Amino acid sequence: MTDTTSELVSKESVFQRINWVDLGPFIALAVLVVVGYLINPDFLSPTNITNVVTRATFIGIIAVGATFVISSGCLDLSVGSMAAFAAGAMILFMNWLVPTWGANAIPAGIVFVLCVGALCGLVNGLVVTLGKIEPFIVTLGTMGVYRAFITFMSNGGSIPIDRSLREPFRPLYFGTVMGIPIPVLVCAAVAIVGSFILYKTKFGRRCAAVGANVEVARFSGISVGRIRTLAFVIQGICVAIAAICYVPRLGAATPTTGLLWELQVITAVVIGGTALRGGKGHIWGSLAGAVILEFIANLMVLSDFISEYLVAAVQGVIIIVAMLIQRFSRRS
Amino acid sequence: MIKRTMFALAGAVALLGAAPALAQDTKVIAVSIPAATHGWTGGVVYHAEAAAKEVKAAFPNIDVIVNTSPSAVAQVGVLEDLVATRKPDALVILPFTSEELTGPVQSVKEAGTFITVVDRGLTDETIQDLYVAGDNIAVGSTTAQFLLEELGKGDVVVLRGIPTVIDDERIQGFQDALEGSDIKILDIQYANWNRDDAFKVMQDFLAKYPKIDAVWANDDDMLLGVLEATQQAGRTDIKFALGANGMKEIIEKVMEGDEITPISTPYPPSMIKTAIYLTAANLNGQAPVRGKVILDAPRITKENAQEFYFPDSPF
Amino acid sequence: MEAALEIRSAPPAETAELLRLTGAGKQYGPVTVLRDVNLSIHGGEIHAIIGENGAGKSTLMRLISGHIQPSFGTINYLGEDMAFHGPADAERRGIVLVHQEILLAEDLTVVENLFLGREVTRHGVIDDRTMEQIAIRQLAALGCTARPWQLVRELSIAQRQMVQIARGLLEEHRIVIFDEPTAVLTASEVDLLLDKIRALRDRGVAVLYISHRLDEVEALADRITVLRDGNMIGTYDAGSVTQQDMARLMVGRELSMLYPHKRGTSAADPLFEVEHLSVPGFVHEASFVARPGEVLGFGGMIGAGRTEIFEGILGLRPAKAAAIRVNGKPVQIRSVADGFEAGIGYLTEDRKGKGLLLRERLAPNLVLSALSWLYRKIYTDERIENAELNGAIRRYDIRVRSKKLEAGQLSGGNQQKLLLAKTMLQDPSIVIIDEPTRGIDIGNKSQIYSFIDELVRQGKACIVISSELQELVGLCDRVLVMKDGRITAELRNGDVTENAVVLAATVGSGAVGSREENARDRHHL
Repeated sequence: MTDTTSELVSKESVFQRINWVDLGPFIALAVLVVVGYLINPDFLSPTNITNVVTRATFIGIIAVGATFVISSGCLDLSVGSMAAFAAGAMILFMNWLVPTWGANAIPAGIVFVLCVGALCGLVNGLVVTLGKIEPFIVTLGTMGVYRAFITFMSNGGSIPIDRSLREPFRPLYFGTVMGIPIPVLVCAAVAIVGSFILYKTKFGRRCAAVGANVEVARFSGISVGRIRTLAFVIQGICVAIAAICYVPRLGAATPTTGLLWELQVITAVVIGGTALRGGKGHIWGSLAGAVILEFIANLMVLSDFISEYLVAAVQGVIIIVAMLIQRFSRRS
Repeated sequence: MIKRTMFALAGAVALLGAAPALAQDTKVIAVSIPAATHGWTGGVVYHAEAAAKEVKAAFPNIDVIVNTSPSAVAQVGVLEDLVATRKPDALVILPFTSEELTGPVQSVKEAGTFITVVDRGLTDETIQDLYVAGDNIAVGSTTAQFLLEELGKGDVVVLRGIPTVIDDERIQGFQDALEGSDIKILDIQYANWNRDDAFKVMQDFLAKYPKIDAVWANDDDMLLGVLEATQQAGRTDIKFALGANGMKEIIEKVMEGDEITPISTPYPPSMIKTAIYLTAANLNGQAPVRGKVILDAPRITKENAQEFYFPDSPF
Repeated sequence: MEAALEIRSAPPAETAELLRLTGAGKQYGPVTVLRDVNLSIHGGEIHAIIGENGAGKSTLMRLISGHIQPSFGTINYLGEDMAFHGPADAERRGIVLVHQEILLAEDLTVVENLFLGREVTRHGVIDDRTMEQIAIRQLAALGCTARPWQLVRELSIAQRQMVQIARGLLEEHRIVIFDEPTAVLTASEVDLLLDKIRALRDRGVAVLYISHRLDEVEALADRITVLRDGNMIGTYDAGSVTQQDMARLMVGRELSMLYPHKRGTSAADPLFEVEHLSVPGFVHEASFVARPGEVLGFGGMIGAGRTEIFEGILGLRPAKAAAIRVNGKPVQIRSVADGFEAGIGYLTEDRKGKGLLLRERLAPNLVLSALSWLYRKIYTDERIENAELNGAIRRYDIRVRSKKLEAGQLSGGNQQKLLLAKTMLQDPSIVIIDEPTRGIDIGNKSQIYSFIDELVRQGKACIVISSELQELVGLCDRVLVMKDGRITAELRNGDVTENAVVLAATVGSGAVGSREENARDRHHL
């Protein structure tokens, strides 16, 4: 039996083992890089690439979580509001601890915000699964709720981080390890852990099964509700991690923090090759999608020939073209 | 069931009895403003509520009701409810949008209410009895004037907000003032009056242009994102990074004598307070206040910063 | 083999030829489901198409009615070679298919359904009065008791079927195709419908009639075409073939060769006991036991509650039971997972919709239910899965070109074997198989029967739910028949006959007599 198994694996050539579906978004990304270089050679300067990739990490980290939710056949519209709320809650918590804990407030804040994120995700998941309500409607509701929380907490202004924490916390966004920005490393770690969970664990397998066909999952003895709730919790934790990287960048949370992130996240996941109706998730594709979106915005500023008034239109067209490239590479 | 109906009836009777009494003894100023969804409107709400408290304390016969609305549609609803229930003697309104609110304000006017319009004008100017606004063109030109004096010549980049009249006027004032000078505008991009977007756009400007002498973000919220991006890049070529609106964090910088941000220009949310005070003055019949009040946009410097500083305001 | 039957093929009928298929066939991917059909349809004839499930009858009907395009051969209609652009096109040209499945919008009324897509208007406004009058006339002609403005949701299965037939007959067509129209009708309804069909013929319409019920075919058809395994066996004059001939032509060999030898009912202690199980809306107070060593069949018409009983037992539908016992011990089952825990494995009838992930590869499909015990650690391991797959392929003779295929790329028979392997991976002692051979070819069918026989001989209990009478008769040692959500009859060993099952399914309990009597009774109810 072992013989046949090893034969089964070794027979495939390297070429066959490449998964062209997974590759689609990266092809789109490569095309975009070439176009970017032609438009403005500065595009490929190390500083610019570093800046843009670092900026893409918020959407990227959240998109890893969204890949789980979408893979399980659900949708989470609340991520942007949740990120703002989590960031605000984290800052308030740390500011409250600073007088007694000093800089130790930062690790405490990180643990706290992870709990807040997981809890927000759990709320979404339980209302969806126990209440048997469409995830679209549930998360549309919590989107408003979390957004109202941050507006309330800030009185419509901003919640700045305590001045004494500003400097010790700053490296979490601006710092580098061996030349690689910390948020990029965090994002890569999240994606590695995420892809292990999605592709190599029982939970990941069940998650994709639930999204591919709920009935088959039910008839196979899988607890659909539990799987989907867990997916929402993972999403919440990812949002919290994004908030941890976000807070040190500008040192504040405002009611406009994370505005429309949910749409960017969903776009990134779909560009990345995960079907909106669920099924197999493509975590690395989602990351590529996030980078593509940020590259496009970057190119709009770097190019000289696009009127500032038409930027949104060009962005929309590029996203659609990226989807088409991805779709065609899937067919081949 | 019967009990509940009785309560409701009693409540209704009480209201009916109270309403004429109010109309006889007290004058009502209704204030309708957008809800606090970002810094500037947060300031508007703060100042409106402060003004309401102060006016009520100063004039016991004047009642001020503050209503916030999250959207233009909601604001129209608030106006309809006001006319139907409270019949205010005066309405102070900061309209969400000019076009959608003109009609509803017109019908409030027809009920005999004194109308004070703040910031965004209605499409029909004859509706308003009093108009209080900042000077957006001056916001742009005051900043440009400072750059002409202190910089003389050089390259600047500009971050603008959301496509609206306010945004257009500021940019227009800035461009007109610089015309024919040695200061060149390299680039203008939208950053949606959003700190995060401004951070990104500024990073991209820095990548695109090796030498930038000054940057103007036409709102202080965006300026905070700009400053973060320049600090990270460690660029020393930028001599001035200026904003607008008079946000308290920026005023603090001005007071401390910051080198990069030595000035700001006000487009203060406290204009709502000016409007409420003037309206109260009109109601008390002590002074005629019909007309237009345009608040100037003077240069805020280290010397006069204190009078533009509201530490308790969210903005 | 056919020659040995010495049945003469029918000469062409004398009336006008409407439709001629020459060498027509259909291929899906590598699988040819229908090949080399040469058929001529004439006005004023009732032409029956018979064959087992999976023989290609539905494919042939869908070809003729424009639902699918032929992969080879030509369709000549009214003297012209034709390629229909979808069913709407075919309908416009005078060919309509009355589907076997109920395809009505449940939340619309009877009238709205009848005229869906071809509403009668007057000055551009929907003309309800006219439509209502036409509807009343049509329904009355079919003896259907549904009221015009009733929601379809409120109708019984038989009423729905009648509405669907009425919809097909609303306009005059040259060719009307009926796909199993009587499967859910009572005897008196059947008689009315058959009269209506004869009236159509007498008006010169060509009627294509698909049915499993050979007695109906014998009573109704002028000519009979037999299909088997995607091949056309021949067209025969109705007068020249008996029901026995038809059965032999359809199966191609003696029935006894298809099924393993029966074991006889078991006297062992029950392995599985269900007491007073109710599934609201579907099943009322059903009680039964299954014993090791026997195949227990569940028969009855579509909608009688056969499938719902087991979905209820496994917590897939809301249900209530006084007691469910496995090996004498009471068990609580709230989900399929609990069922596996108790030793119950259930193969759904809907293998594509509920059984397999069609876009997923074979190994993940195989182990989907088994993840929790197959892996003790939290992560998965392809080597273990592939080993399981290799075992299943050998054990159940699953024929695959590559182990990297997606489940949806397998033929129906191999899918069914994979689903069986997936369930058996849980090592259940009670195996419930809903429609074990639906839509699969005869070779795979025979294999699946022998797998079932093996299971039972190992001392497991096997429950087979089937709407194929032959299958119940050929395979089961004991058959419970359901009608309207109740178990109405229990048949054992020699008493398990097609007619006994039909009688219990249509009339109810206590009506079990000899074969000939029952057959006659059905027509005179």
